[in-house]
Amino acid sequence: MSTIKQSGTTPFAMCGGSGWTLTDWFENIYLRTAGIDKYNALAKHSIPWTDPSVTAAFQDMQKIFDPANMVGGSAGAVSTPFPDCVGQAFGSSSKAAMLYEGDFVASVIPTVNSAMQPATGFDFFPFPSINNSPPSVSGGGDVAVMLKDTPQARALIKYLASPDAGRIWAHLGGFTSPNKNVPLSVYPDDISRRAAQQLVNAGDNVVFDMSDQAPAAFGGTSGSGEWADLQDWVRNTSDINGIEAKLEADAKTAYGH
Amino acid sequence: MSAVATPAPSPALPQRRAPGRARLRRVLRSTPVNVVLVVVAVLWLTPTVGLLVTSFRPGQDYLSSGWWQALVHPATLNLDNYRHILSGGNIVDALVTTVLITVPATLLVVLVASLAGYGLVFLRWPGRDWVFLVLVALMVVPLQMGLIPVSLLYKHLGLFGTIPGVVLYHTAFGLPFAIFLMRNFYTGIPRDLLEAARIDGASEWTMFRRIVLPLGMPALASLAIFQFLWVWNDLLVSLVFLASAPHQPLTVTIFSQLRQFGLNIDVISTASFISMIIPLIVFFAFQRYFVRGVLAGAVK
Amino acid sequence: MATVPAVAEPAARPAPVSITGRGPGGGGWRRGLAVGAFMGPALLFLGAIVGYPTVATIIASFFNKTTTTFVGLDNYRTVFGTSDILVAVRNNAIWVIVFPFLVTFTGLVFAVLTERIRWATAFKAVVFMPMAISLFATGVIWRIVYETDPHRGVINSMVGTVADAINPPGSYALPNIKPISGLSQRSDGSMVSTATVHPDGTVKLGLTGISPTDIPPGATSASEPATVQGGVAGVVWRDFSPGGHVGVVDSGEKGLPAMRIDLLRGDGSTAATTASGADGRFVFRDVGSGSYRVAVAASNFRAPFGGVAWLGAQSLTPADRLGGTARTLLTVPLVDIAAIVAMLWMWGGFAMVVIGAGLAALNREVLEAAKIDGASEWQTFRHVTFPLLLPVLIVVFVTMIINVLKIFDIILSLVPESSQREANVIAVQMWNSAFTASDYGVGSALATFLFVLVVPVIVVNVRRIRG
Repeated sequence: MSTIKQSGTTPFAMCGGSGWTLTDWFENIYLRTAGIDKYNALAKHSIPWTDPSVTAAFQDMQKIFDPANMVGGSAGAVSTPFPDCVGQAFGSSSKAAMLYEGDFVASVIPTVNSAMQPATGFDFFPFPSINNSPPSVSGGGDVAVMLKDTPQARALIKYLASPDAGRIWAHLGGFTSPNKNVPLSVYPDDISRRAAQQLVNAGDNVVFDMSDQAPAAFGGTSGSGEWADLQDWVRNTSDINGIEAKLEADAKTAYGH
Repeated sequence: MSAVATPAPSPALPQRRAPGRARLRRVLRSTPVNVVLVVVAVLWLTPTVGLLVTSFRPGQDYLSSGWWQALVHPATLNLDNYRHILSGGNIVDALVTTVLITVPATLLVVLVASLAGYGLVFLRWPGRDWVFLVLVALMVVPLQMGLIPVSLLYKHLGLFGTIPGVVLYHTAFGLPFAIFLMRNFYTGIPRDLLEAARIDGASEWTMFRRIVLPLGMPALASLAIFQFLWVWNDLLVSLVFLASAPHQPLTVTIFSQLRQFGLNIDVISTASFISMIIPLIVFFAFQRYFVRGVLAGAVK
Repeated sequence: MATVPAVAEPAARPAPVSITGRGPGGGGWRRGLAVGAFMGPALLFLGAIVGYPTVATIIASFFNKTTTTFVGLDNYRTVFGTSDILVAVRNNAIWVIVFPFLVTFTGLVFAVLTERIRWATAFKAVVFMPMAISLFATGVIWRIVYETDPHRGVINSMVGTVADAINPPGSYALPNIKPISGLSQRSDGSMVSTATVHPDGTVKLGLTGISPTDIPPGATSASEPATVQGGVAGVVWRDFSPGGHVGVVDSGEKGLPAMRIDLLRGDGSTAATTASGADGRFVFRDVGSGSYRVAVAASNFRAPFGGVAWLGAQSLTPADRLGGTARTLLTVPLVDIAAIVAMLWMWGGFAMVVIGAGLAALNREVLEAAKIDGASEWQTFRHVTFPLLLPVLIVVFVTMIINVLKIFDIILSLVPESSQREANVIAVQMWNSAFTASDYGVGSALATFLFVLVVPVIVVNVRRIRG
């Protein structure tokens, strides 16, 4: 990062204006520093947000969220929503070198800069290991949802989960199949292929997005709960204890325990 | 019995001043007003102009430069956004549906509110003022609060997912303000007019139709416009009641075109302008009802 | 000499009972029928669709989340206990105090002034147009207007033009620019050479954090400075290249032209000033003896106007020094005012049209009589027009108070996520509680609270009109 800064480019475009991006940052750091068991425990709120593992994750996060590393400093980070931040990194007057978010960003980039093509204009690398943590993936989203439990619905879900369906679906682009047996060759471009590879490599270290698992009032509401707390923290990253207390209080209210 | 005469002509200036100078004085007096209003008009227009220009720009330009830059580089402007919106989603159907919702909701509100206003001002009955108080207090009930109870009610009545259901909902929620407005306007109508008619043997309905309704035209016109605009631009109620309906209004149709993670400025700016045209036409059409002279009409 | 006739105040004075003994509406059951016919439709609509949910809501406020168990006043305790609701009440208070006056006043001014101009229709159309735009789009429009980046936001662009004219930005106002060799950063923004230099000496000042695109065109490769007899020479350059060394002018590293360089004496005062050339080299000729330092002036790095965060939660009042509840209650976030202005833009047309309709319905004869009497324009307005307009003004005013109490859409569409917490209002809190947190009990309690807040407003108003 310091090399990037010396070369005159700001390392990161941050999407802090949209609180959910901050939760993704935290979760990926936490997954790699605290491990999968603690991750799942925190998602259920069986360990509190004041746990030392959380503090350690925040300390790592603090290094990234240094004002000098983000476009516009702390104020800029917190006021730039998604997808404006994609424009900051990949737009025609690019201000930053990197942007962190999910694989859907690849489909957003052409809308903010039609000149940007995969591999030539932009590329990605998987969220790095921290202290040799195993390859892990945190993901969110519904592949298929069954609203009525009927035999026909079950049969359809089974088919959709199969490699055959995955092959067709993945080939159309914009979809990463959770089925390991879908050959990587069906993916339409290099970027989606490597994203799928990343999913497969992670093996059992795939977890569901923590904030999506939390009650909506905590992990899913604009302007309150985890989203707002993390935004407040980005404004002043030195106050880790304060933010943990706030998160814990909000979580207690939302989870009910 | 006071006579309500047609407006007297404005007093002529004394003849000893030269007419040219009189005109000059009038211009001078009105120039500051004109200047101020021009400035205000420009300021008022600027935000809308910003959106209009944005609708002619490619979405990604919005992220890097202000809309006024596009005015300096007109080559960047194009009709792509409009083409895109008009082809995706059935705009004509959506427009028709919007009209089918908005016009009845407006007419109903106007009718029911003027009836109720009359009842509250020109009829005497016990508890009248309390009823007025309650009716107007209902103004504070936010639209979203009624969504769930009324959805359940509609399901029982078979109105859920239908256009009449939405019309009735909008009418009901538009009534408190409408009644408030009409009632207050009606209190300004001189009683003598009605007294005279009553002595002549007119029924309540006749008095309503022949006297009160015409005299209340300015207020009715204002009300009609506001209700029209409010219902035309509504998204929430239509989204809740008509989400799975075969025909959806314009707002819902546009809403369904928004990208979940992507830039949406190109959709929103363009849709706003397409949607604005008809309400503006309505405004211009109703405009002349505000002109003075409505009270012209003599009473013996 | 005509006197101004006493104008009947538009009060609900009952009409005198006529000789026939029939009061308004006729006698007995006929009157009942009339009342039924006139009031019936309204009562039916309102009862079913507005009244019934209201009652249901008030009842639900005493029940739990899923409205199955009776919990008494628990929900109200929650409502008044959380700090978020305190913020909401404060914001609603700010809205109520500022907005209705502002809008009514604006509408009145516009309504009166437009009577005097010939292009009234055009003006009215312009001012009214925002009402035709959906609230969603209004939020978008004003986000664009309030955009912090001076390159994208109209207001900040205009303010920035003025600000930058007063305080011109430097050519090297880059976020990451830093000294890396031979220089150290000073707190005033300038960079001073680490070593002192004497006549016949040279300095090398290396900087990083400059991207190739930021270097002014016309810059050429830097080279080591040549000593100048009796003077001080130096080079200021971009000390960054792949495989290069810090502090050494590697080949390919570019000089930084047009940098203002100061020669500082031992006491810190400026002995001379010069600018670097295309290759980054500069010379101070004929300096007196003594030891000097060379500084890269702070003006080189002066940042351009950064933009005011109109939609930020910055408080207009100095409430930051207070703590706790006092601080929450006395903060006036800038975003509130920004939203009020946006709403004024939207509703100004409404006030103007309604008050204009009231003006149009006025009895002209009375006004003419006043004029004949010799009253000036202002006197006529103050003593005749204004009192006659009062009922209409009250309609607008009260409507605005109520609108503002239940303000909802604009907060969600205009206020960016990072300011949502500070800009919270009761209706938004209610929405979050009832629909996002699925706590209908608390949501209903909030709605009931809102209802209770507005009742006094209505009562006062009704009393007033009754005379």
